[in-house]
Amino acid sequence: MSYVDATAPLQLAEPVRPRARVWSRLRRRPVAIAAIIVIVIIYGAGILAPILAPYGFSEADFANTHAGPSWSHPLGTDALGRDLLSRAIWSAQTTVIISVAAVTTGGLILGVSMGLLAGYLRGWADAIIMRAAEILGSVPTILLLLIITATLLGRIEGWAEDLEDLTGADWIVNSGAPSYFLIFGALSIFGWVGIARIVRSQVLALRESQYIVAARASGASTFRVIARHLLPNVSNLLIVAVTLSLGGAAGAEVGLTFLGIGVQDPHPSFGAMIFQGAGLTQVRQHPMLILVPSACVTSLILAFNLLGDQLTDVLSPRGR
Amino acid sequence: MPSGLASYIARRLLIVPFTLLVISFAAFSLGRYAPGDYVAAQAPPRANQETIDRIRHERGLDDPVYKQYVRYMGNLLQGDLGISQNPRGVPVEDVLLPRLWVTFQINALVLIFTWVIGIPLGTWAALKRGTWLDPFAIGVFLFLASIPVLVSVPLLEWVLIVKLKLLPTGGWSTAEYLGVELGVFSKHAVLPVLVLTISGVAGLARYMRAQVLEVLDQDHVRTARSKGLRGDVIVMRHVMRNALLPIVTIFGFELAGLIGGSIFVETLLGIPGVGQLSFQAVTTRDYDTIMAIVLLGSTIFVLAMLTVDIAYGFVDPRVRSGGSVQS
Amino acid sequence: MESRNLVYVLTGIAVALIVVIGGLVLLVSSGGDGDDDGSSGGNGDASPTLGARVEGELRIPGGDPITLDPACATDIESASYIIEIFSGLVGYDNNLELIPDIASEWDVSDDGTVYTFHLRTNVLFHDGSRRVASDDFKYSMERALNPDTASLVADVYLGDIVGVDEFISGDASEVSGIKAPNPDTLEITIEKASPVFLPKLTYPTAFVVDRNETEGSSCFDAGWTFSPNGTGPFELAEWDLGNAIILEPNPDYYLDPKPSLSKITFLLSGGSSFTMYQNDEIDITGVGKDNVESVRDATNELNAEYRFSTTLSVSYIGFNVNQEPFDDPEVRRALAMAIDKEFLTENLYKGLLDAADGILPPEMPGHNPDLQGIPYDPDAARDLLDDTGKRDLLEDVTILTSGQGAAPDDVLQAITAMWEQNLGLTITVEQEDFALLTQDINDGNFDMFSIGWIADYPDPQNFLEIKFHTDSSNNDVGYSNPEVDRLLDEANGDLSDEERFELYQEAEQIIVDDQPWIPLFFGTSSLLVKPHVQGYEAAPFAIPNLRYVSISD
Repeated sequence: MSYVDATAPLQLAEPVRPRARVWSRLRRRPVAIAAIIVIVIIYGAGILAPILAPYGFSEADFANTHAGPSWSHPLGTDALGRDLLSRAIWSAQTTVIISVAAVTTGGLILGVSMGLLAGYLRGWADAIIMRAAEILGSVPTILLLLIITATLLGRIEGWAEDLEDLTGADWIVNSGAPSYFLIFGALSIFGWVGIARIVRSQVLALRESQYIVAARASGASTFRVIARHLLPNVSNLLIVAVTLSLGGAAGAEVGLTFLGIGVQDPHPSFGAMIFQGAGLTQVRQHPMLILVPSACVTSLILAFNLLGDQLTDVLSPRGR
Repeated sequence: MPSGLASYIARRLLIVPFTLLVISFAAFSLGRYAPGDYVAAQAPPRANQETIDRIRHERGLDDPVYKQYVRYMGNLLQGDLGISQNPRGVPVEDVLLPRLWVTFQINALVLIFTWVIGIPLGTWAALKRGTWLDPFAIGVFLFLASIPVLVSVPLLEWVLIVKLKLLPTGGWSTAEYLGVELGVFSKHAVLPVLVLTISGVAGLARYMRAQVLEVLDQDHVRTARSKGLRGDVIVMRHVMRNALLPIVTIFGFELAGLIGGSIFVETLLGIPGVGQLSFQAVTTRDYDTIMAIVLLGSTIFVLAMLTVDIAYGFVDPRVRSGGSVQS
Repeated sequence: MESRNLVYVLTGIAVALIVVIGGLVLLVSSGGDGDDDGSSGGNGDASPTLGARVEGELRIPGGDPITLDPACATDIESASYIIEIFSGLVGYDNNLELIPDIASEWDVSDDGTVYTFHLRTNVLFHDGSRRVASDDFKYSMERALNPDTASLVADVYLGDIVGVDEFISGDASEVSGIKAPNPDTLEITIEKASPVFLPKLTYPTAFVVDRNETEGSSCFDAGWTFSPNGTGPFELAEWDLGNAIILEPNPDYYLDPKPSLSKITFLLSGGSSFTMYQNDEIDITGVGKDNVESVRDATNELNAEYRFSTTLSVSYIGFNVNQEPFDDPEVRRALAMAIDKEFLTENLYKGLLDAADGILPPEMPGHNPDLQGIPYDPDAARDLLDDTGKRDLLEDVTILTSGQGAAPDDVLQAITAMWEQNLGLTITVEQEDFALLTQDINDGNFDMFSIGWIADYPDPQNFLEIKFHTDSSNNDVGYSNPEVDRLLDEANGDLSDEERFELYQEAEQIIVDDQPWIPLFFGTSSLLVKPHVQGYEAAPFAIPNLRYVSISD
């Protein structure tokens, strides 16, 4: 389950297009704008959650259970009287944290570096990295994630407690950091593969191109070549890949939390909201409980996919 | 066959046992590293701690992990997959195979529908580039591909089961067809197949469209078109052949996904397949079952990739000097 | 062209939704006829194809048992099948009375340590090959206790017998306290007199099994359990993993009433049993909190089929009474007072649960209707907590529970919300696998936990002594009160039931005042039973009651 969709269009083996023109082309595409707006709204809500959410995620109101929409509860309440709108906003925060952390660590840091190393150095580095990628890609991902979280959550919490003792910071375990860390860590372990492959194939294609050869012939060091010549070319592809990965990571977090191996209660998540709203009788009697998180998650993933698609069109010279 | 090809195949073949070994050891160690074991999982609160410890020791769960691993692999190579814990004492294959059959039926049907619908759909969408149908199609595909299974299942349940009362409420039933127990032709199969097909078709159609477009834009095709050859002849001959090649890779992925992919669907709908079993197995620390599922899934995937690689090796000489097709 | 793309995309999305669902409707409704080919009879195709319903057949939803080996069963699901297929010396009837089973009568020595059971001569194994004799019992019990069999519970239920320790440790090759002087007599000697020894014999570990098919098999060899040679009212006709379990009546059954059903089919594959009941595919179903309101409505036609009863189980929150601040009974009482049990049972669970004030469920003999529990009083709770001055010790406290899902169940979420609202405490719920939970409890590694306890036999000892006596190995909270111990020990003596119950009630009141547990609910059973099913009564704990059931057509 490398969260870069294997079916995304990948070929962009052309010289880079100046950034400013990209943005102006993008601005003229209403689909892209709409997608960006959706992302900004949801991510913005997540980032601003402490200010924005009228109630806490677990704030119960026993007099007001299963309430319909009203001024104090625009989306109604659930079985314990918790405000659905606030729960959605807080869940968005978790989505922001995990997707950004996962894509940054797994996608950008790990994926790019592995891809660059493999593609540029070739030889044994390439062999090891690609073997590892293959192995990681061959396992039934969800099962391994399940095993990993079952195994490691307790240990990581133990380490967090040790860290607390060491540093005197007593908020570490309670903030939920261990489970967040575990999830985006686990997602990164499997997630770097896709981006690494993309980067690697781009590097392979580019390294024989004219100016790379010229740069090396003129004695540029490996690092310079990578930084000055390879990275800018790869970055177009990366933008698309990152966009799609964010959507994928968000979806993965929701799924994992739903199964119980993601973010742990009482920390908010759309997965937890869906969990409590799923089930036939729930859907029948209280459809809002599942409609709210479903709509949020679906629109977010859809927005990322649309944007990725639009970016691909814009960044490729033929403008499909 | 050319020597390059032979060595290429040999290289690819050798990787397989190595990969499986690494995976098996990783899964095994991880599983044992988890706190708790199946003896503790079964022990009711009334059981005495000494009894629990004694039985744990007798089952070899006290031994160091590498020793347990060697023992497990030794048994495995003799064809012994171990004992399930749920129900206890039943050989793993007796529990696993019926479940495998269920998951396989569903996914095989999904695979067929996805391909039969997805490829023509994607091609058609590519050909309609420039008309309003193109963004329309993109919208459709992306939307369907974006809905997480977690969302589509309850929604479809609401529409099909609750409102329209067309389908049963989950679970699984079988009937005999020509002596074979099949569940996939009953109404129980509709929802899981539908959900997975929708996202499968959406993804495949998108990919197919992109592939076809890319080929259409290639110089030799443009040239052929400009020379005035009839459109559909060109499509048939050049486009499909070139566009289909990478698709074979995708097929490999999907074939491999026949095992693991449906954990959400099965859990949500109460379908007795491998996905549901694997979830349960991890919770009850059913070590042998977990390992069997991991190994099975990995083996199928690795073999599928191997087949794809070899097929490519025959077709595309460039691949033989590099790594696998996946790069 | 580009500026209209957005519209098209959105239209595409909308149409996709409609087309897919609409197309489905067409597909399914036209293909629906073809589906009936496989499933025979007028059953509809939502149930496994096990043939049409036969006359006198009972269909019930069920789950896969973990094992059908009587020596090995540790869970309720497995036990509920085992007690129909196998049997033992004594049993329980529908009125919770201890009745003779394979043993037609027994004598107890004056000091209460020697039980002499006289066995019926007409009890046959299911295959009809031979009758059950006393050495079959000796074999079966020793097999259960044999360390090679790896039973997790045999020593708990049979551990009173003389010679068990030596047998388990390997010093003896047999259990000296079990003697089979002649085929019709079984003599068991226990270490010291106990009023609950006979009830313990009703548990599957004391059942008889056929040595010909079980010799040498352990709890990890389940092959024989797929065609077991039992002695109970029903024979196992088929166990189709994940699909169905089929029982058929034992024609040689020796107790009255003999089973009158012609067949029992347990449907193990999932699906909503409530809907299956409505479709006439099954005859009994549980009623969950989502449906119970509509079923309880007198205008609902299902209302006539609704049965409600309580079970002998209690769910509770346990405190680690040996750890600060829970060593202070005031703190425990304050936490208890902040929980609105009425809200939980009435609002959250729509009356499906019975709020518990004490330890013993209402159906338990010895239940005290005048027990003084801890009332719900949030203001008093706050004051009490403030008075203890230990509020800050409750900062990082967690409550453990078993569970796998994304969130703990509603009850615990509501309780922590109540503690937050009424006491200003933030207590986190930690979900663990059940295996881990019991381990943490055994190791004393917890602040609080939430769990349940089901009776093994209908005697207050099973709750009070097992869970609260200082010397009991199942005293999971570590509670120790010499006064309570004294009362419990006294109740083990040779007294009448009334005298024993008085002692137990006194002990229970002390325990409730101390609140090492916060008892939350007593278990209930909420069922719908088809009118053509006669004689079915929900059992308060694991009792073989299917032989009382018949189908009237």
